[in-house]
Amino acid sequence: MSLSGTGRRGTCDCGRQFQSDIVSQSLAVATSLQRRAQTTRWIARAIALLICALVVARAITVSLAESYPLTFWASQLVNGLVLGGVYALVALGYTLVYGILLMINFAHGEVMMIGGVAGFFALQLAQALGWMRGPAGLVVAALLIVMGIGMIGAMFTGVALERIAYRPLRNAPRLVPLISAIGASLFLQYSVLLIFGVSPLVYQRPALISGGFRIGPVFIPYTGLIIFVTSLALMGALFVIVQRTRLGRAMRAVAADRDTAALMGVDVNQIITFTFLLGSALAGAAGVMLGFHNSVIKFNSGFIPGLKAFTAAVMGGIGNIPGAMVGALVLGIAESIGPSALGIPAEYKDIIAFVLLVLVLIFRPQGLLGEALAEKKV
Amino acid sequence: MTAVERDPRGIRIGLIGFGILAYLTLIGLPGRFEASAPFVMAIVTAAIVALALRSEAQRHPPATVLRQALIAGVIGGTLIAILVGVFAALLGGGVRIQPVLDKITPPNVAAWYGLPTLAVARGQLAAFDFLRPALLVLLGSLAGGGLAIGLRRFTARSAPSQARWVVIGLPFILLLAVFVLGQPAVTFGGAQKGTLRLLLVMLAVAAGLFAMRAATPGKERTAVSFALLAGLAALPFMLDQFQNAVMGIVFIFVMMGLGLNIVVGYAGLLDLGYVAFFAIGAYAYAFLSAPFSSPWFSQQLSALGLPTDQPLLSFWQSIPIVMILAAIGGVLLGTPVLRLRGDYLAIVTLGFGEIIRLFMLNLADLTNGPRGLLNLAPPTLFGYNLGNPRDIFILALLGTAVIAFVAFRLERSRIGRAWVAIREDEDAAQAMGVDLVRTKLMAFAIGATFAGVAGQLYAARQVNIFPDNFSLFVSIDALALIIVGGMGSIPGVVLGAITLKGLPEVLRGVDEYRIVLFAALLVVMMIARPEGLLPSERRRMELHGEADAAAERAS
Repeated sequence: MSLSGTGRRGTCDCGRQFQSDIVSQSLAVATSLQRRAQTTRWIARAIALLICALVVARAITVSLAESYPLTFWASQLVNGLVLGGVYALVALGYTLVYGILLMINFAHGEVMMIGGVAGFFALQLAQALGWMRGPAGLVVAALLIVMGIGMIGAMFTGVALERIAYRPLRNAPRLVPLISAIGASLFLQYSVLLIFGVSPLVYQRPALISGGFRIGPVFIPYTGLIIFVTSLALMGALFVIVQRTRLGRAMRAVAADRDTAALMGVDVNQIITFTFLLGSALAGAAGVMLGFHNSVIKFNSGFIPGLKAFTAAVMGGIGNIPGAMVGALVLGIAESIGPSALGIPAEYKDIIAFVLLVLVLIFRPQGLLGEALAEKKV
Repeated sequence: MTAVERDPRGIRIGLIGFGILAYLTLIGLPGRFEASAPFVMAIVTAAIVALALRSEAQRHPPATVLRQALIAGVIGGTLIAILVGVFAALLGGGVRIQPVLDKITPPNVAAWYGLPTLAVARGQLAAFDFLRPALLVLLGSLAGGGLAIGLRRFTARSAPSQARWVVIGLPFILLLAVFVLGQPAVTFGGAQKGTLRLLLVMLAVAAGLFAMRAATPGKERTAVSFALLAGLAALPFMLDQFQNAVMGIVFIFVMMGLGLNIVVGYAGLLDLGYVAFFAIGAYAYAFLSAPFSSPWFSQQLSALGLPTDQPLLSFWQSIPIVMILAAIGGVLLGTPVLRLRGDYLAIVTLGFGEIIRLFMLNLADLTNGPRGLLNLAPPTLFGYNLGNPRDIFILALLGTAVIAFVAFRLERSRIGRAWVAIREDEDAAQAMGVDLVRTKLMAFAIGATFAGVAGQLYAARQVNIFPDNFSLFVSIDALALIIVGGMGSIPGVVLGAITLKGLPEVLRGVDEYRIVLFAALLVVMMIARPEGLLPSERRRMELHGEADAAAERAS
């Protein structure tokens, strides 16, 4: 502080005294402001609590009034778990990148979409070669190849994205990479629209995975089961990579402290590329599975699921890998059960995710499972 | 450094250039230019190479630079010739590529060769023809290298002190050209004349912004500013309907951009749902001026025994109500996000924008859903209808003037400095006694008010409004224009609106590529010039360090 009055007051000591006066005064101002901020925070919490209570009350009255059969809720729950599985794979990409770079990869939903597009063309090829009508083993192998190609397409996109749009901005103010990411997201969407045309790409399910089975009265589509199981398997693989391998250890080191990790001999650039590679591979798999589940992939198929997955990542505690999975499952279930439980039209389904996001950020900015983040990050 | 060591750079440029040209081919750009495609692609190549070699040319002798351009041209040209050749061979062989790559059609590929479509469709290409794209790219690349060398020569020479007067005089010359071209006796290329004039108008406004900056502060700047304002005021009376309509929408976006500039540029709160306030303004005016097209409103009115077939309030009477409603909207949407910063704020506000749109779409009783609100009243003054494009443009200019003045004064006020303080460091600002809650809510409320008024004028211009008019892309457009212009800079907003909303109207043919172009522009801007085209002095210093800004001032 250059405003100390050393010169006027003669001795250095008095100057310091004056300085500390100012410091204590400004601290007092700050604490009083902080107290006010605390009060507003409590008001916000009270309002959020009220909203929650109203939502619960509404859900109870509606479900009592409508009296849907139990099987209806069960099949909605199944839908929610399937949706949650897809969200989880995408949410993990957000969380991995955020954990390391502290930035939101806004274009991550588009990485997923491109995975879906790549998978579509692989599927077309497999169909042209007649693999999809072959014996069950061949079909399964072909499906795995399709998913692999989707993952490779997404990985390529994700790494190129990092290299072109994010790496030059690594030390820029925070808004700068975010805007670049928004640009990249739009660019990818509309490039796909221009290159592959406006007509949606229709996934044709091979006979082996169309249809489904029943557990009691609840119908479970095969694609749903496959999505859920594959998501769990991929998450398990990710967990092993992050917790048990050398690269995973390096990733965790870079997330904890980039500079120190670099001093310890970790190649930070390589680790960041690897992180994008991992996240994009998961997103690519999600894109292919979403294609099979919804039957279509369009240029904007990644945008809303991307936002939802981001919401899921925040709900679970961004930067926290199990958190992303839990958040995604909660969000998927809330979205599929929400409209009927609250008696609102299905068109408002998208609002549920955003309202949940706002509520979580007000209530628990660290997320459901997240450790307390510094205020700076929120 | 020896030439051998520098060669990898030429290879890299060749590969990057190939990537860009291949992308442009995939999105069908050559087909758009038909006969002039070879020329356009050569220019694109030259521009890429010139940009890539710009810094090389500062440090190395021309021979090295040309050598790299040659290497880049050979590599890029060979690769593109192979790619286009494969497409041509497949198409000539009767393979339909279109189901996979939508834009790879005979006309598009033939444009690369400068040949008629049939030559490709029937596979009648001579062996030499396959080399054409390679030669084209090679020539373009060499031209680009030459350009880089030339540019260095040009910039190395110190600009004469009279250059200032050239910059100041330019907008007036352009305005004069607009005037002359508008005379019925003057002809120029038939249908092209109107578009050329529109382009000149936009260039004149843009040049005016640079002229104001070039003038020495003080009397000179005041005089230049007033002369420019007079020229701007004369514009609506010189232009025809179409030109006025385009300029009207440009300036409505300037009004909106100035509001977003307060939220994002001054206070640093990245709001991706800004269209919500624009929509609130437009819908509020729609309810006030055309209550009959909203089922719920007409019901209420007839219940109260009021006539349902005429506006409740006039355009002018609606303004304060629209402003108040938009400000309330700003505070309501701002309150829950007070604690959020940066990225989180962006996502949540984006969600708000979508929620508002979903409500407009689904609250059919109130908003008439996707069928929209129809027959809004145009603004009137003493019985004159001001709904025509010329008067809307004048209203937009007046609105811009008022908003720009308010924004200019706010920037230099106590609250303006508080905004900048929280943008730079929230904790430090709070420690210095800035009330975060009040300051942020003020930014949201004032920004929303401006957007609301812009929305009202937009609604009056459109006469009928639909939820689709208020999609996420309006937010993105508004954000893009303040970023391209320069965040926190009022002239920058005008320049950004002209670049992003005006120029696409001139380049009607490439409308399809508008969004990709903006998206690429956003990324490139963030990497190359994050402070925008016409940055505020403060912003430039933040992003480039003081030494840099000082150097730029001195030059």
